[in-house]
Amino acid sequence: MSLCHMAWRYVISRLPVTALTLAGICLGAALVCGVLVLKRESETAFSREAALFDLVVGGKGGNLQLVLSCIYHLDVPAGNIPYSDYEKLRRDSRVRWAAPLGIGDNYQGHRIVGTEVHFFDLTDRDGQPVFVLAEGRYFEEPFEVVIGSEVARTTGLGIGDSFAGTHGLVPVPGSELHDDFPYTVCGILEPTQTTQDRAIFGTLESVWLIHETEDRLHSAIQGTATLKRKKPRETTAVLVRLRYPGLRLAVADEIRQRTGGIAAIPLNEVMRLYQGIVAPMQQALLIVAAAVVAVSCLTVLATLLQSGERRRRDLAILRSLGARPGQVAALMFLEGGLLCGMGLSLGWLLGHGTLALAASWLRESSGLVISTWAVDRAELMAFGLMALCCLVASAVPAIAAYRRPPLTDLSLDS
Amino acid sequence: MIDLREVAVQLGGDATQGVRFSLPSFAVAQGEHIALTGPSGCGKSTLLNLISGLRRPDAGSVKVAGTELTGLSEAALDRHRGQVCGHVFQSFHLLSPFTALENVMIGLRLAGYRRAECRQLAEAALDRVGLAERRRSRPATLSVGERQRVAIARAIAPDPPLLLADEPTGSLDATTGGEIFDLLRDTAVEAGRTFIMVTHDEALAAAMPQRFDCSALVSAVSREKGAAAA
Repeated sequence: MSLCHMAWRYVISRLPVTALTLAGICLGAALVCGVLVLKRESETAFSREAALFDLVVGGKGGNLQLVLSCIYHLDVPAGNIPYSDYEKLRRDSRVRWAAPLGIGDNYQGHRIVGTEVHFFDLTDRDGQPVFVLAEGRYFEEPFEVVIGSEVARTTGLGIGDSFAGTHGLVPVPGSELHDDFPYTVCGILEPTQTTQDRAIFGTLESVWLIHETEDRLHSAIQGTATLKRKKPRETTAVLVRLRYPGLRLAVADEIRQRTGGIAAIPLNEVMRLYQGIVAPMQQALLIVAAAVVAVSCLTVLATLLQSGERRRRDLAILRSLGARPGQVAALMFLEGGLLCGMGLSLGWLLGHGTLALAASWLRESSGLVISTWAVDRAELMAFGLMALCCLVASAVPAIAAYRRPPLTDLSLDS
Repeated sequence: MIDLREVAVQLGGDATQGVRFSLPSFAVAQGEHIALTGPSGCGKSTLLNLISGLRRPDAGSVKVAGTELTGLSEAALDRHRGQVCGHVFQSFHLLSPFTALENVMIGLRLAGYRRAECRQLAEAALDRVGLAERRRSRPATLSVGERQRVAIARAIAPDPPLLLADEPTGSLDATTGGEIFDLLRDTAVEAGRTFIMVTHDEALAAAMPQRFDCSALVSAVSREKGAAAA
């Protein structure tokens, strides 16, 4: 019978106290785990997506609003810019890739994005294609669409299926249905682990056709058709990749001065959002988690001290049988170590397991795709720190056991 | 086997006031059986604890199995105790979370035996005290007599040269007490073991070949002159 085995038997011999102590450590560790993983994954997801584009050019409004609406499909864009601005940008020698975005309709909450087929030529910073077809082909004609993997999964749409878009960016009962202009699915994308998985991509031409036709219809109903001139075509935004990321500021300034629109740098906006809103909230959560861990460590300390007091007689018996002071101290320390080890392991499993269970809900509700079981340096350090705190808490009763002479405790009642 | 000389222990208070244990000499040869007798508080258990090394003397020499205990470190004293002494207590002192077999195995492990030997020796010891069938029982489910048998098995399993028993029948009825005493004596005789037993029971003391009266070991120390008074 080893000291480890003895420590284990002592731990399970007081099951209710052990269970409560474990629950405390476990919840603290799970909370730390959850906060750290969500922080890491949301940062990674946001910056990965933001890093795909050097600039977003759009109508006057807020920079963050433009980035959120055109890259993350989260907000409503402020206004449009002339299509001619996009054409000028595309001809600019400093621009490696640019694609227009026309948004305004949705299908079951998924945004219908009008663009041009070279949108799918986008590559990441390593030169790997972002979009890969899982089935079918890219659109060639108006009203053909390529759908993201999440759209295919949640709507059940397949190649050849048709559907009508609804006016607006979110599904609202009673919204205008564009059932005269059905879309047909011609391609389905592989998952990209970005919010683009929740979008439906068609031609910009089809977006124009729907809205110009409906404008004409509305004007005819109001009797103003003959008074209105045909408007120049517009686009909601232009996504831009420059030849060199170092040109971002200069090109953005130039666009702001030259056109009536704005040019936002997505990485800057995302970082500002993080530093201004998300990071303080995450820090607050981390502080709460750290407090839970601290309370758990104190619980371990109290449990072990109480156990050490109740076990003074047992420790003295062990000494009378020949156990050295170091061995009884090691026994107490191992008990603490076992509690901490089990608590932290269960906490890790609970934290990551809960995130794994919540992953699909997170993906559907926010588009955030998380690697639930991955462990990074911050998490290792946090768990190392928690383990250290728990071991310090275990060392206190161990030292007390080491110092206590056995003789007086032998006469204690059992 | 045991040789104590000019041993003094302050049991309470300080050098000018309190209770003092003094023992000019005490010697027991290998294989001898001796009963320590005397009224409560006379120092019988103190003498036993000095021999086992659970208590250190303030002065004098305590030599057990050829080792002078007074100069040993705490850890060396514990190791010596584990290897040389088998200790049986009045209140059994079994570890409640463990089975009878595990209680005996723990003693063996602490005495330095290898894991593989422990089970074999522990089972043999339990078999010797008549508890082979109850080796998987926990102390709470055993009768008081059975608990003391487990304690004896734990004490004799490492085959120590010295068996110390502090009122081993004090918590038992007369019949069970007699059985336990017989068991202790028999196991000591079988192994040629030195056996020292503290007892209040005159009948048991009379059954031991030798007796050491501890009545005069402890004295009160007065504040004024440090004069001893019985």
